[in-house]
Amino acid sequence: MSGAAIGSHLPRASLSRGLGTPGKLTGRGGGQASCRSGPSRRPLREAASQGWVGWGADAAAADAVRSVWGKGRHRGWHSETMAPQNLSTFCLLLLYFIGAVIAGRDFYKILGVPRSASIKDIKKAYRKLALQLHPDRNPDDPRAQEKFQDLGAAYEVLSDSEKRKQYDAYGEEGLKDGHQSSHGDIFSHFFGDFGFMFGGTPRQQDRNIPRGSDIIVDLEVTLEEVYAGNFVEVVRNKPVARQAPGKRKCNCRQEMRTTQLGPGRFQMTQEVVCDECPNVKLVNEERTLEVEIEPGVRDGMEYPFIGEGEPHVDGEPGDLRFRIKVVKHPIFERRGDDLYTNVTISLVESLVGFDMDVTHLDGHKVHISRDKITRPGAKLWKKGEGLPNFDNNNIKGSLIITFDVDFPKEQLTEEAREGEGYSVCMWCVCVCVCVCVCVCV
Amino acid sequence: MWSAGRGVAAGAALLGLLLGLLAPGSGATKSGAGLVTCGSVLKLFNTQHRVRLHSHDIKYGSGSGQQSVTGVEASDDANSYWRIRGDSKGGCPRGSPVRCGQAVRLTHVLTGKNLHTHHFPSPLSNNQEVSAFGEDGEGDDLDLWMVRCSGQHWERQAAVRFQHMGTSVFLSVTGEQYGSPIRGQLEVHGMPSANTHNTWKAMEGIFIKPSVDPSAGHDEL
Repeated sequence: MSGAAIGSHLPRASLSRGLGTPGKLTGRGGGQASCRSGPSRRPLREAASQGWVGWGADAAAADAVRSVWGKGRHRGWHSETMAPQNLSTFCLLLLYFIGAVIAGRDFYKILGVPRSASIKDIKKAYRKLALQLHPDRNPDDPRAQEKFQDLGAAYEVLSDSEKRKQYDAYGEEGLKDGHQSSHGDIFSHFFGDFGFMFGGTPRQQDRNIPRGSDIIVDLEVTLEEVYAGNFVEVVRNKPVARQAPGKRKCNCRQEMRTTQLGPGRFQMTQEVVCDECPNVKLVNEERTLEVEIEPGVRDGMEYPFIGEGEPHVDGEPGDLRFRIKVVKHPIFERRGDDLYTNVTISLVESLVGFDMDVTHLDGHKVHISRDKITRPGAKLWKKGEGLPNFDNNNIKGSLIITFDVDFPKEQLTEEAREGEGYSVCMWCVCVCVCVCVCVCV
Repeated sequence: MWSAGRGVAAGAALLGLLLGLLAPGSGATKSGAGLVTCGSVLKLFNTQHRVRLHSHDIKYGSGSGQQSVTGVEASDDANSYWRIRGDSKGGCPRGSPVRCGQAVRLTHVLTGKNLHTHHFPSPLSNNQEVSAFGEDGEGDDLDLWMVRCSGQHWERQAAVRFQHMGTSVFLSVTGEQYGSPIRGQLEVHGMPSANTHNTWKAMEGIFIKPSVDPSAGHDEL
C-alpha cells in the first residue's frame, strides 16, 4: 500500500479506510520533491466542487484527516507554527489527502469484489449489498444513504465496460461524464419499481386498493447456469398511468334512486353513479431489468419484480414474476443437488481399468480413474462435484457416474479372439512396465 | 450547368449511400437490442384495427368449440400476453433472436394454450377460425406460425405477418365485432392473402435481450 510507503508512522488503518487506493501516488515515494511535482495539486475547494466527487468523498476524506489529527497531534494549518520536519510531514499528508480526494472512492472495495471480477460477479455483489444497505433497511444508520449512493455509483461505473476501463486507468477522476442515472434507476433494475417494499412485509391494504394483474414469465434455464449462476437482462415495456388533462369517471357503481312520481307514489330505479377523478392515460415506458439466476436454483422458484406487472388505472400495478424452468441437459441429469451421467467404456477398459476426464458444466475436468474390473451399470460417486446447494453455495451435491460397457457388436472371429486376448495381455504388460518405470524414476 | 447538376446529384447520392451505410452500422453497434427473442412475452398489436391479440377462458359457440381468440382495445389486459417459443424440437433457446421465416409457437401466458388454426369457419366473417389449443404449452403441429418480415430478424419496431405453417393463412383482423359476453372485441381469423389487415407489431411485453448463449448447444463434448 502506498500509504505505508509515504507515512508509515501515521496510523495506517484510519488513512486507508474509505479512501481507497490513491493510484496517483503509487511509486512516487516520500520526500519533499514529491510535494512540488506531485499530481495536479488542486486546492481542496476545487476538488470538492466537481460534481462526481460529491460530498461523499469529501466527507470521507475529511473524516480521515479528522481521525489522524484527532490522535492527539492537533496542528493548525498555519505554517508559521510548524517546525521544518513537521512541515514535511504536513506536506506529505496534504499530498496524500489531496491525492485521495482526487482519486475518489474505491469502487471495487465498495462492492467487495477483486479488480479482476467479471460483470456477473459485480452484478451479484451489487444485488446482495443493495438489499443490505438500502436506507429503508437501516433507519438507524446516519450514513446509510451515503453508503447506498456509493454502492450505486460503484455499480454504475464497474458495470459499464467503457467506464470501468477509464476508472481502472485514471481512478474516479478519470471518468468523463458525471453519474448519469440516479441510483433509484439502478436499484429498480434488480428489484422493480416498488422494490423497496421488500423485507417480507406483505403490501398493506391489499384488499382496499385495487391491483393490476400479476404476470408470471417462465424463464428457461440451463444446467450450466444453475451451476455457475447468471444474470438475464430483460427489457420491460409496460403501460404506465400518467396524468392527463381533464377528468374522468371512476369508481362507477349501481345505485338505487327513488323518484317521486306523484303524491305518495314513488319509483325506484337503478342508476349508474360515478365519481370524478383526475384523468389518467396509459403511456408505454421501457426499462431494463436484471434477473439473477442464483446457483443451485430449483425448478419453480420465482423471482418477483414488484410493481412491474400490469397497471391498474385506479390502483397499484401488479407484479412481474419470473419462474425458473430448468431445461433438460443432454449429458447430465439433475436430482436435487446431485448430478447423474452415463459414461461408456470399452471392454478392455472395463477389465483392466482406465483413466479419464469428464468435462463438467463449467468446463472443469473431473478426473476418474480405476484399476479394478468395472461391471456394466457400476456407479462411481464423486462427492462435491454436483450442483451447489441453493441455501448454501459452499455445499455441493455429488456427481454419480454410471458406467456402460461397450460390448462388441458382432461375434468375434477366431483371429480376433486370439488378438483380443493377446492385446489385453500386452496391455497389462505395458501398463506394468510403465508403472515400474515411473516408480523407479 | 448540366455537369453541375450531375455533380449535385452524385453528391446527394453519395451522401445518401453514406447515411445508408452508417445507419445499419449504428444499429449493429446497438447489438440488436431491438430484436424479439425466444422466451419473450409480448402483446401483438394489429396496426390497421388497433387491437391487441387476446384470448380468455371463453369457448367459441360454433366451429371447433375451442378457446376463442379475439382482438381487444385495452392496453392493460394481462390476457393479451403471448409467449414466443420455437417448435417442439427445442430449436429456439432463450435469448436467440427470431429470424424472418422462422416457425414459432405463440403460447397464451394465462391459459397455457397455443395460437392455432384449422379448417373451421370463423363465427362472424366466415374466414378461417383461429383458436387457442393445447395444454400447458403443448398442442400439435397446427400451432406453428411463420414470422414473415423483411430483413434478417424480427425487430420490435417492425410490422410483421404471421403465416400459418399448416394452412398458409395469415393471422388477420377485419373489424367484425362480437356481442355479449365479449362485447366490443373484434374477431381474429385466418385469411389467405397478405394485406394491410394482417400486419402486427410487438407492443408491451417482457423482452429477453439477445444473447449468444454458448452453453446451449455445446457440440464439442
